[in-house]
Amino acid sequence: MSASQQLTPAEVRKLVGSRKIEHVVVLGANGTMGYGSGALFTTVVPKVTFLARTKAKAEEGLGAAVKQVRSPTVASRVEVGDYDHEFDAAVADADLIFEALTEDFDVKKAIFDKVEKVRRDDSIVATVTSGLSINALCEGRGDSFRKNFLGLHFFNPPNVIVGTELIPGDDTDPELVDFIEAYSRARLGREIIRTADTPAFAGNRVGFKVLNEAAQLAEEHGPVLIDRLIGPYTGRAMTPLATIDLVGWDIHRAIVDNVYEKTQDEAHETNKLPAYMDKLMERGVLGNKTGRGFFWKEDKVRHVLDPVSGDYKPEAEVNLPDLSYIDDVSALYSQGRYAEGIQIFLGADGEYAALARKVIAGYISYAFHRVGEVTETISGVDRIMGMGFNWAPPSVLVDTMGKQAAVDMIAKAGLPVPSILEEAARSGSPKRFFQHPHINPGRFFVAS
Amino acid sequence: MATGSEVYVLGGYQTDFGRNWTKENKHFSALMRESVLGALERTEIAPEEIESAHVGNFAAGLYCMQGHLGAFFTEAHPAFSGLPTGRHEAACASGSIAILAAAAEIEAGRYDLQAVVGIEQMKTVSAAEGGAFLGTAAWYEDEAKGIEFPFPKLFGRLGDEYDKRYGLKDEYLAEISRLNYDNAKLNPNAQTRTWYMNKEHALCRTDDNASVGGRIRIADCSQVTDGAVCVFLASREYAEKYAKGMGKKLEDIPRIKGWGHNTARLRFDDKVAESAGDRYVLPHVRSTITSAMERAGVPDVSGIDAIETHDCFTTSEYMAIDHFGITEPGESWKAVEAGWLEIDGKIPINPSGGLIGAGHPVGATGVRQLLDATLQVTEEAGDYQVEGAKNIQTLNIGGSGTTSVSFIVGV
Repeated sequence: MSASQQLTPAEVRKLVGSRKIEHVVVLGANGTMGYGSGALFTTVVPKVTFLARTKAKAEEGLGAAVKQVRSPTVASRVEVGDYDHEFDAAVADADLIFEALTEDFDVKKAIFDKVEKVRRDDSIVATVTSGLSINALCEGRGDSFRKNFLGLHFFNPPNVIVGTELIPGDDTDPELVDFIEAYSRARLGREIIRTADTPAFAGNRVGFKVLNEAAQLAEEHGPVLIDRLIGPYTGRAMTPLATIDLVGWDIHRAIVDNVYEKTQDEAHETNKLPAYMDKLMERGVLGNKTGRGFFWKEDKVRHVLDPVSGDYKPEAEVNLPDLSYIDDVSALYSQGRYAEGIQIFLGADGEYAALARKVIAGYISYAFHRVGEVTETISGVDRIMGMGFNWAPPSVLVDTMGKQAAVDMIAKAGLPVPSILEEAARSGSPKRFFQHPHINPGRFFVAS
Repeated sequence: MATGSEVYVLGGYQTDFGRNWTKENKHFSALMRESVLGALERTEIAPEEIESAHVGNFAAGLYCMQGHLGAFFTEAHPAFSGLPTGRHEAACASGSIAILAAAAEIEAGRYDLQAVVGIEQMKTVSAAEGGAFLGTAAWYEDEAKGIEFPFPKLFGRLGDEYDKRYGLKDEYLAEISRLNYDNAKLNPNAQTRTWYMNKEHALCRTDDNASVGGRIRIADCSQVTDGAVCVFLASREYAEKYAKGMGKKLEDIPRIKGWGHNTARLRFDDKVAESAGDRYVLPHVRSTITSAMERAGVPDVSGIDAIETHDCFTTSEYMAIDHFGITEPGESWKAVEAGWLEIDGKIPINPSGGLIGAGHPVGATGVRQLLDATLQVTEEAGDYQVEGAKNIQTLNIGGSGTTSVSFIVGV
């Protein structure tokens, strides 16, 4: 099979037992991705070693893992240790070494130096990086390391979000890639999306473009209006600026800066971090982790940032234009009339509806333009947006509004129309883009 | 006994049982609509072809303050206005009762193509309130009134009865829970796909796995679920036409080969008193299973490739194992211990994850079982496919083993 396609169910059944994973070592087990992934492994792996800089940190990670999945039994499968004492023995014994250190190239490189010295030739080394290059991370290492190295990008929190990116490097053993897909699907309940080793892979590349564009637009229009315009009715449970607050502004910056620096695409400028965010981050505005982001709550009253002045005011004091079309869309969604609802959105008058359409058109256009670059088919982008971000996959939006309507919306927004879409619209074929019989498209249309 | 059945299952659609329709701000009608329109699209059947519809539902009047559910079918598509429809109720077996009614109308020659929808929206109320609503599936005044979570307690007593007659170790119940959760990981529409479970957790005795009724703990329970499933049933004549249109042979279209249906006395104590001295703890359930086999011309469970059973609690699956004849009565633990029930085992049970793993939208469960049986025999079950499955048997139970219905679906 081709390196970037999915295994068939029969292939999964055949491959899942082809290797044994009985001991996993998690590096950086005190971090969010470390303990979250560690807890996930304990559902099926009999022994998981949590390693961190100090044993106390590793213990903290274990405590957080128990709390996250609400099971004291996690501890019965976990051993803890630090990088100076338990590292060598644990890594030498491990079938899978799972690296979840901070998103810093040099930090990861240093730990891989240590791993390479003691690991067995047949052990698997996976990194949970959300966007650093897999090839660069294993560059210059021995054959057995490069053959057994890959990216396995769980989304946070892994015990809730099943969408997972699997990123082989140039030298990764194709059989290992197949096994990891089979194992992750059948044993860990993952929805596996194979992506190319491109900046931010597939999900964050497409998702953070939309989030960043929302942040750019918030400068002129304010966070409340933007989150309403690009809200649940456009196919997401959580609004974009609230999402950036949850992720953290610093993480958002790291992702979009990396994409902006390393890619040149048709929507390049939408990946440029707005200057006000840089300025405000210096003042400690980092989102929910510091209490202040686009929003903050005081005595249960939600306050909203003015990106220009950096001041906050109560949300109730923000005046919004007439957005009654959103209520009309939601009323139809609440009865499951998604196609009719989306037609109201497409036909809504006024500059704000047009602005919302421009962002959604940008999402669809950008996603379809990435086919061949980040994933082999649109299905990969669709599945990571649906199962990783919990956003309506671009294909679901196109299928629901109609292919010609999607082409018209993108053209009207002044954005490039992807040729795949244009051809499908021209052919008049009734075939849907979203071909996943086991995923309900309706779940992505949230009535707000 | 009437034998043979000329009722075919053309396919269907289920909603993702992990969804919370209250959180999505969606009305009951959206749940119905998604399942019906999804089924039309999946089967490529034109809405104008549907001649009649049967809706299985337990308690929308309590959960959603909504009755007259047959009429909601007509809201799903303009072509349905004027169709004969109706609603069927038999507690957790409501979905199967709707299937039986639709199948009977086909066999009587009244209609050639029928829709059956099983539907329940349960996340509209608190757990305690929902638990009381479920109590109306028992004799409410006698067995449920004033009792918090009456059903786990009734099924805890089923476990106690096994313990008394044959001995029962909790570790086997824990394995049943573990297996259903494991299978659910393979099913993208399963509610518990991401929930934390393994045998140790199922055996854990802390607040994270609290007791909800005697020996029944959280890990032993099926779920509170929103969900709807729609399937289309057809006469032989229609199935032939459909198969031709789809480029298939009639033999490729799954058929309901056999059915069983019994109703025992409502109170659990009365059922147990009746079965004193019987080898089977719930003989009417056994009779439902064997009459479906007899009608299908299947001698015993060796003719069945996989089972979708009613594991509302681990004790009900434990009961089903010997009632299906997988082991001698009282020896269900042997099948658990030997690994026969695993998805690649000798007789897989609940490859979908069952009610514990996939979820239990009460009135939808029987229809979900029939759809999963259909997907298995047409090799469309994706990652939870049982290799080479040709005959699947279902068992759907309402109340404390009161109404039981079983189907054998095969190609």
